[in-house]
Parts: sequence; C-alpha cells; structure tokens
Amino acid sequence: MTILSIEGLTRQFKGLRAIQDLSFAVESKSITSIVGPNGAGKSTLFNMISGYLKPTAGHILFEGREITGKAPHLVCGMGIARAFQIAKPFPELSVEKNVLVAATFGRLGPRDRQATTEHAIEVCHLAEWRHQPASALSIGNLRRLELARAIAARPTLLLADEPCAGLNETETREVIDVLSTIRKSGVTVLLVEHDIKVVRRVSDRVIVIEAGRKIADGTASQVFSEQAVIDAYLGTAGA
Amino acid sequence: MDAFNGRIPAGIWGLSAVLLAAAVMLPFMLSPFQIRLAQQILLFGGMAVAWQMLGGFTNYWSFGHTAFFGLGAFAAGLLAQQLDPSLSVAVKLAIGTVFAIGLALVAALAIAIPVLNLRGIYFAIAMLAFAEILAEITKTFDAFHGTSGFPLPALLVPGLTKVQLFYFLFLLLFLTNIAVFVWLRRSRIGMGLTCIGQDEDTAAMLGIPTERYKLVAFVLSAVLTAIGGVLYGYSLGFISTGSVFRIDISLNLILYTMLGGIGTVAGPIIGAALMIVLTQVVLGNLLDLHMMLTGAVLIAMVILAPKGLMGLARKAWDRRRGAAEGRP
Amino acid sequence: MNGTLLFQTLVDGLILGGIFSLSAVGFSLIFGVLGVVNLAHGVFILAGAYIGLWLKGALGLDPLAAIPVVFLVLAVIGGALQRTLVSAAVQRGSLMTSLLITFGASLILRDLLILAFGPDIQSLSSTWLLRTYHVGGVVIDGARATGLLASLVLLAMLAIALHAMKVGRAIRATAQQSFAAGLCGVDSNRIYTLTFGVSAGFAGASGIIIGMINPFSPFDDAYWTLNAFVTVVLGGVGSPVGALLGGLMLGEISTLSSQYIGPRFPNVFIFCALLLMLIVRPNGLLGNAYKASV
Repeated sequence: MTILSIEGLTRQFKGLRAIQDLSFAVESKSITSIVGPNGAGKSTLFNMISGYLKPTAGHILFEGREITGKAPHLVCGMGIARAFQIAKPFPELSVEKNVLVAATFGRLGPRDRQATTEHAIEVCHLAEWRHQPASALSIGNLRRLELARAIAARPTLLLADEPCAGLNETETREVIDVLSTIRKSGVTVLLVEHDIKVVRRVSDRVIVIEAGRKIADGTASQVFSEQAVIDAYLGTAGA
Repeated sequence: MDAFNGRIPAGIWGLSAVLLAAAVMLPFMLSPFQIRLAQQILLFGGMAVAWQMLGGFTNYWSFGHTAFFGLGAFAAGLLAQQLDPSLSVAVKLAIGTVFAIGLALVAALAIAIPVLNLRGIYFAIAMLAFAEILAEITKTFDAFHGTSGFPLPALLVPGLTKVQLFYFLFLLLFLTNIAVFVWLRRSRIGMGLTCIGQDEDTAAMLGIPTERYKLVAFVLSAVLTAIGGVLYGYSLGFISTGSVFRIDISLNLILYTMLGGIGTVAGPIIGAALMIVLTQVVLGNLLDLHMMLTGAVLIAMVILAPKGLMGLARKAWDRRRGAAEGRP
Repeated sequence: MNGTLLFQTLVDGLILGGIFSLSAVGFSLIFGVLGVVNLAHGVFILAGAYIGLWLKGALGLDPLAAIPVVFLVLAVIGGALQRTLVSAAVQRGSLMTSLLITFGASLILRDLLILAFGPDIQSLSSTWLLRTYHVGGVVIDGARATGLLASLVLLAMLAIALHAMKVGRAIRATAQQSFAAGLCGVDSNRIYTLTFGVSAGFAGASGIIIGMINPFSPFDDAYWTLNAFVTVVLGGVGSPVGALLGGLMLGEISTLSSQYIGPRFPNVFIFCALLLMLIVRPNGLLGNAYKASV
C-alpha cells in the first residue's frame, strides 16, 4: 500500500531548480532511503513534504490526501513527523518535557500522552537524562531526543534527516537500533542518509537523486551497482 | 498532572489565602496615601501579569501595551458622555467596560494578523508604533477630546471612600488577571507558548498551532489591559491622551516583569511593588531622579539577574537545599 | 493645485529629509552591524545639541565648528556604553535584552541632561549660515539649507569611510559574517565598539544641525529615536544610502501631509507608514545592506 506519493514535484529558487519533476511513491511500513550528493535537493524535498516550503509545481499525497502547501502543524497533525539533522530541541526544557510536547500535539492529540512519552523515552534510551535540560545533552543523545520526539508524535510516516551524521560507531548503532524499532511498530520511515553502510543496513528501498532529479530507484544492492549512481554519488564520496 | 503541570502545592494555596485576606483588610487600616500606593501596585502589577500572557512565554514583547490601556479608558469615558445621564454611574461603568472589551477585541484581532507575523524587535517596535498611532489619533481628531481631556462620571458606593472603592475594583481585576494567567500557563496553550518562546519553527513542526495560540494570548492580554484602562480612567475622573496613552506605562510593565522574574506570577507583582514604593516613597521628594533610578535598576537586572528576583530566590533556595542534602 | 506651493513643500521635505537622514544613519549602522536597536539614540542626538550649546556659551565656538568636538565626545560615550553594558547584554541574552539596556541607558542619560542643562527648551544659532534664497517664488531658508549641506557632507564622508578605508571594510565584513571576519583577523569586539562610537558621533553631529533648525528639550529623545527607526524601516538597514532614502521619504511624508492634510497630521502618517512598511517589507526598500535575507 502506498502511504506517500510525490507527483511531478518541482521547486525553483530564483534561477536554481532544486527539485525537478520528481515522482516516487513510498510503500507503507517500509524504510525508504533518499541518497544523493550534497545539494542534490534532499533537504528541499523534506521541507516541502513537512510544509516548510511550497512547491513551485507538483503534488504531494499522504494516505491518498493532498497535503501540498499545508502548514507544518497541520501536516504534523496528519501523522508526518520529522527528525532534524541539526537537532532542534527546546533548549531550556527537560528531555521529558520536550518529548511530552510532541506527544501532546501529535497526530492523536493529548490522549495517553504520558504513556507515549514514557514509551518514546525508553525506546530511545533517554531515561537517564529525562530531567536534564536539552541544552546539556551530547550530540548522540540529542539525535535520539530528536527521534524520541518524532516517535512521541505517533506518526505514520517519519522523515529522518541524516540521523547518523557526525556520530561515532556506537552512537550510530544506537540510532539504527531505534530506527528498526520504529519500523517494527508499523511506522513508515523516509530516511535521508549519507553513510552508505547505514543505508545498506536499514533500507528496503533506495532512491538516488542528483541535481533535483531521480536517477535510480530500487533495492540497495541494485542501486549501488548502477553506473550512473557510482559516477554521481560514490565517485565523489570515494574521492 | 504531568511534567508541565505539577499540583499547586498546599503551601502556595495557604499563602495566597493569607495574602488575599490581608489585601481585603488592608484598605481599612492604611492611610489614603498608602491605599493609593497599594492601588497602583494592584493595577500595574496586575497589568504586568496580563502583559506576560504573551510576553512572559515568548519573545513577542509588546512595547505598546498602553495602546489597549488608553483605548479602554477612552472608549469607556467617551461612551459615558453619550449615555443617558439618568443612568447610575455603576451601570455606565459596566456598559463602558463591555464596550471597551469589545473594542479591544476588535483592535487586537485587527492588529494581530499583521504584527504577530513580525518577530522579535520588529514586533516590539510595531506595537510601539501602534500605540503612538492611537495616541496621535485621539489628539488629532477633536471628537476624541484627547488634547483638552474630558471628565468621567464619579463612581460612589456608600460606606467606602473613593480610594477604598477603586482599591477593591483594582483588586478584582488583579485577581482576574492572575487567574487567567495561571489557567493559561497550565493549559495546552501555555505549553505551546512556552515552546514558541524556545523555538517557533520547531514548535510548528511538532504540531503546535502557533498562530492560533499567539493570537489567543495576545487578545486575552489586550482585553484585560483595556479593562485596566477603563478602571484607571474612572479612578482619575478626568483623562486626556497624555494621562492614559503613555509610553512609560508600556515600558514599566516590562520593567516590573523583568525585575521580579519573567514567566512567574509573583515576579511582576513584586517588581511593581518594589518600583512603586521605591520611586514614590523613598525618592518621593527627588522627582528628578526617578527616571535615572528606573534606568539603573533596569540595567542592573538585565546584566546581574536576567531571571529577576524570583530567579535569584530560586537559585538561593536550590543552593540551600543542595547544601542540606550534602551535595556540593 | 498651486504649483509653487507644491514645489515649496517638496523642497522643504527634501531639506528636512536630508537632516533626518543624518540623524538616523548612526542608528542604522548599529542596527545593521550589531543587530541592536539603540533606544539611547535620541539622547545621543540631544546630547550633541547640548554639548554644542555649552561649547558656544563657554568658549564662543560656532556650532558648526563644534561638530568635530561633539563627534569625538559622543564617540567616546557611545564606545564606552557598548564596551561596558551593551556587550554584556548581548553576551548574556537575546537582542531583546539589548533593547532594555539601551532604554535604561537613555533614561539615565536624559536625567543627566536635565540635571546639567535644565528641562527648558533651548536653541542653537550659527553665524556661518548660507543666505536665504528665493528661486521663482520658492524660498530656501538659509539655516535649513546649511543644515542639509552639512548633513550631506557628513553622510558622504561616512559612505567613503565605509568603502575605502580598511576599518570601514572591516565594519562591513563584521556585519555580514562576524565569525568569518574573525577568522580573517578582524577583532569583532573592537569593531562593535568602533561602530557604536562612530554612530554616536554621527548622532551628536546631527544634534548640532537639528539644534540650529529646531528648538530642543531633553524630552525630545523618544521622538528622535522613533524617527530614526522609521527612517531605517523605510530606507533599509545599515547603509548611508538607505538612511538617505528613508530620511528623504520621511521628510516628504512629513511636509506633504502637514501642508495638504493639516499641520497636526504628520505623526499619524509617519507611524502609519512605519506600521505599513513593517508589515510589507520590514527590512526597508533597500533591504539590509549586509545580510542577503533575514
């Protein structure tokens, strides 16, 4: 079943076309990774899905409903949560309060928010820091707080923006763990990630974009053997 | 009950009850001058609490709240002149209050849509400009009598002197403001506003209806401030643009809040009490130095105690408790 | 409509606008470089006028000749204010706190002015004024024309300094990217102090010119601060050209509304223009001279 479909999406910034006529569909309860070199348009894509940017043309459908150009809080309320690469916690609030806010204003509203908060804190291994202000956390913990907030919103689709960037081996493994748990609970994950190892480990499907266009689409092993992908992405990454 | 809303401790309830009882008895024990001081503390401290409904949670610091204060005073005062003279003053005051609430509601909604999209300093200055526009309009058009001023009917209640009467009216508004603020802070709106104060974009991303919450807080704050203007106008008995549209009222609300501790209930009230007593009693004879003192207090607080006196008290309390439990 | 009257009004607006421009340029520079709204700006302007008054009374110095002295005195005051209070506020908290700090400073400085010079209305007069000209029915007042000329000269000097001098380029670089400028060896704290000083200096210089044209009292400071803010919002942040554009617009709005709608209306129109610009284009017609988008 398709949960998210992107149809002919285009975004233009003055002269630059960040996304050009992009189309793909995401299967429910899968982990789909979007990869591509810096500046390929991944962040622009996420910004459009989550309602921060309006597309110049094209449509975004979520669970069959048009969400193109909807305000962020409405998109969130429909069940799309986003975890940022640069974690954006509320710095003066405790870890627990940060998660509680997400639980309160997420898809299902304040119902069961306390239990949801507990669950998210546990899944993301944050119990030890629950009373700390978010500004006191390490990068690894912040990244998991970001994920905990996204889970607490009880989404059906999670947009994860480079959750492993800048993390060490152990921290990366913890994040992969969390992503797998999330997926097992029935949440679809759309992942932007640079680390090919992570992508190979977790993805059911990989979409490669370059200069705003889709250049490959398939399983990880299929995609990473295509010459175009190697040229565009691995070539620069390996250099 | 959750991480945002602990139960209000019994001690706070007890203290509030004692303070309320004292506040009710006070006007029968103090001299008229002292009651007048207490009046001002209740009125301006209470308005600082109302100012906090938006400014206490977020960075939307209105530098022009006197717009709503003056609006309330002028609306009620000008209406009183139009009403049937045979009506009792209490009825005129009641009608005037309703009218002022309605007008403040309309004005706040109209101005909110553009200004709440401005952030930080731009919002602050836009509000300042809004207050100036209203002040200039009342001065420019003769229908408003802003330059010459006009009288308001004198409210009398048998058994109470005028200062006592207005003391109780200000107390009523003061309690209303505190009740609304505490309700707001403990509601989802307060939670959302706190998040908006931390990071507005992230707040929207997490599903908080930022625009709606800001609007609710702004309108509540504006309406309660307008009621303050109505009561103040009646207590003066004669108002002009210069007596109710005053930049220093807007700025004092911020000063009291900063001094006492932003985001707290007690903070603005303590701040108002301290500054009003300081300027009117201690420096009562040194009028020239009021402004200098106000400036010095403001600077000292911002640099030395950005969380205000309540912040300092909390720090000292934590330290003592830490020491008692043998922590470093 | 009377053509000569319209032309006279436009000329008056132009002259007034030139002076508004100079009075706002320091405010604009501080806003552009430090991001601080300096609510003490109006007091700086008045302090300039009062120091000019004192120099004239004590030493018999002509106000126009006193401009360099006034500039230096205010530059020192402004620099000191930045070094001690404003930098502490910016480090400790948000830009909001800098608003409170500069407001506190303005209250103190204004009381000092009142203590030193009294609360009365004063005025400055210079003997070095241009003649009053009559051109085809249009009167060009000598004092005002002198003020305009001095304003334009000072603005041009600032523009040249910002573009041609090394320290000017350092100021502009710091405004764009203080971190990157720091990597290139620019000491941003020093630049902030310098900017504050230069801006206060220009405010003081404009105070002299304002004093030669209008009577002034210590209670005018809020008016001049707001005027500066309107000028910046109309024209754009951080550049002499923006200040010039904003000042000229403000001058024209002021004189046209006063002439054709009524002498009591300019303030309503000015504040409405401010509110409108804030809503439509908060960074002014020219935008922020330093930052591409905010």
